[in-house]
Amino acid sequence: MQKIVAKATGIKKSYRMSKKNIVHALCGVDIEVCEGDFSAIIGPSGCGKSTLMHILGLLDRPDEGQLEIDGVDMSKLKEKQAYRLRAKKIGFIFQGFNLIPTLTAYENVILAGKYGGQTLSERKSRAKELLELLGLKERMGHKPNELSGGQQQRVAIARALMNDPALILADEPTGELDSKTSLEIMDILKKLNREENKTFLIVTHNMEVAESCKKIIRLKDGKNAK
Amino acid sequence: MEIFRNMWRRKFRSFLTIFGIVIGIFAFTVMGSMALKLNKMIDGGKKYITGQISIMPKGTDFATGQMSGMLPIDTLNKIGKVEGVEAVEGSVSLAVDEPNPDEPISMNISTPATIYSFDTTSNFKNKNWETLAMKEGKLIDKESADNDISIGSTVTLDKQWKLNDKVIIRGKEFKVVGILDKTMSGPDSYVFMKLPVARGLYIESNPFLKSLRDRSSEAANISDMELAKLSPETRSQIIQAKTFKVEDVSTMAAVSWKDGADPEQVVTRIKDQFKDEVVVLSPKKMGETIDKASATMNAVILGSAMLALIVGLFSIVNTMVMSISERTKEIGIKKAIGASPRSIAWEYTLEAGVIGLIGGAIGLGLGTLTAVVLNQKMASKGAEIFLIDTNFMIAVITFSFVIGLIAGLIPAIRASKLKVVDAIREL
Repeated sequence: MQKIVAKATGIKKSYRMSKKNIVHALCGVDIEVCEGDFSAIIGPSGCGKSTLMHILGLLDRPDEGQLEIDGVDMSKLKEKQAYRLRAKKIGFIFQGFNLIPTLTAYENVILAGKYGGQTLSERKSRAKELLELLGLKERMGHKPNELSGGQQQRVAIARALMNDPALILADEPTGELDSKTSLEIMDILKKLNREENKTFLIVTHNMEVAESCKKIIRLKDGKNAK
Repeated sequence: MEIFRNMWRRKFRSFLTIFGIVIGIFAFTVMGSMALKLNKMIDGGKKYITGQISIMPKGTDFATGQMSGMLPIDTLNKIGKVEGVEAVEGSVSLAVDEPNPDEPISMNISTPATIYSFDTTSNFKNKNWETLAMKEGKLIDKESADNDISIGSTVTLDKQWKLNDKVIIRGKEFKVVGILDKTMSGPDSYVFMKLPVARGLYIESNPFLKSLRDRSSEAANISDMELAKLSPETRSQIIQAKTFKVEDVSTMAAVSWKDGADPEQVVTRIKDQFKDEVVVLSPKKMGETIDKASATMNAVILGSAMLALIVGLFSIVNTMVMSISERTKEIGIKKAIGASPRSIAWEYTLEAGVIGLIGGAIGLGLGTLTAVVLNQKMASKGAEIFLIDTNFMIAVITFSFVIGLIAGLIPAIRASKLKVVDAIREL
């Protein structure tokens, strides 16, 4: 039996856009992610993919439902403890890379280690190690605007790996990349999954990307689709 | 490091914000060192004035500072006999320079050099009098010649008078026998001179007194035999004129009280007996009046500087609010990768603090420079009007940093409360 990294049952979430307009983003979604999974969440836009990811990533709280991350029951967790867990257990990879523009690639990666509570020397050696692993040894001192899209996304991957998280959430990781670079990035993620047993949950609407995953979770209108 | 990069990212805006603080702190430094100097001068004056009971002729107008009246010697002698009085010393004081007839009214921010009569024979002693430290030479005393003078440090700079120089004051030649150390207060602009000599100059400067003196010496030449021949009316006039003595002229007097006597009681006694002739200034009351005046002055000076500072404060608040809305996404990213709200708040507060600190350092530098330059210019004209104090400078720097932190606090708390999902939506 594989270890369950994230388990969500009956997750509901709605947003109040105005007094009369309430959007039900999620209406009872169940999801289970096991260690070493490489799954894709797919579905049409507005189906609640991103909301689900935010909830799994502890960026948002569900209105209803149970959520467990790495064996910790999140419904009992206070807001203040959420960021600590987020730093240590969850890694994020975003569509727009989301690197901090004033910091170099190296500093961007180090920052995650700082929030994760690593010592300075730990941070420094781990960041170097990860950037080397991702083939960015020569680009460490460059700022995001001096790097190509693929390189920026690789920096973001290094940042996500910094605290050795239980779960890595990727929101359209190839959304802003050309097809060749997209393949490169997906290869990196797959390699990390295969060789380092990292757990990935990828939100995408690119079928090519989804099909390269081991498991596909389909969402429709805020529910699991068959 | 990141702070400086963030500031550099918006160079022009950072510059403007810092500039706002620079102006505020500049005003604060300049006004503050002026207030410090004035306070020091006032404190010196207060210490002196509360160490004695001052007697002024009735009719002295404090509002215009006109001291035209004179004190009759008889009254001073009588005051000397009041219970509790130790000694009475009459004195005269007048400006070193004769007023320019073409420019009778001139504005002067610094104290003009003043002749301070010094009765070397009197046993009057101001209770708070400290021996003035000498830079060179000595303070005039009993053994000094009539034309010996000691001068304050500002007078030295102003007039370019040096030790042993022969100088002319109001047409009379004097010799500088001593230069005082800088006191940062009244004595800096004093010329200390023996009382009889100062009286002579005073009489010379006053046409009425001068003619009175001349008539008195003429009257003194009239022998008793001749006097007897004159009519009784003329005779009494001449006898009156004969009794006039130069020594009688005092524009003010100081009274010291016997050890153990309560100065306020002595004041009441003098007032009871001589209220029609003199104005008596109680040490306690004078101290209170001075305190009140200096408090008002400080409030005005520091108030205007604070105003400039508050404007600067709001410019930091504005800048920080703007950079936070600009950096919403960045805050979102940081939170997504695990930044605690506290670390976000601290980051922005510190950035505002650094803006305050940089602005404060530049403002303080410019302010101090201005004060030093103006002081040097003023020193050659009259008196220095700024006092640059290290503790004050440290306080200003700390203050500017704290001001920045305070200004950054509200925007920073706003930043830390930003919802990650909302911030990330802006992606």
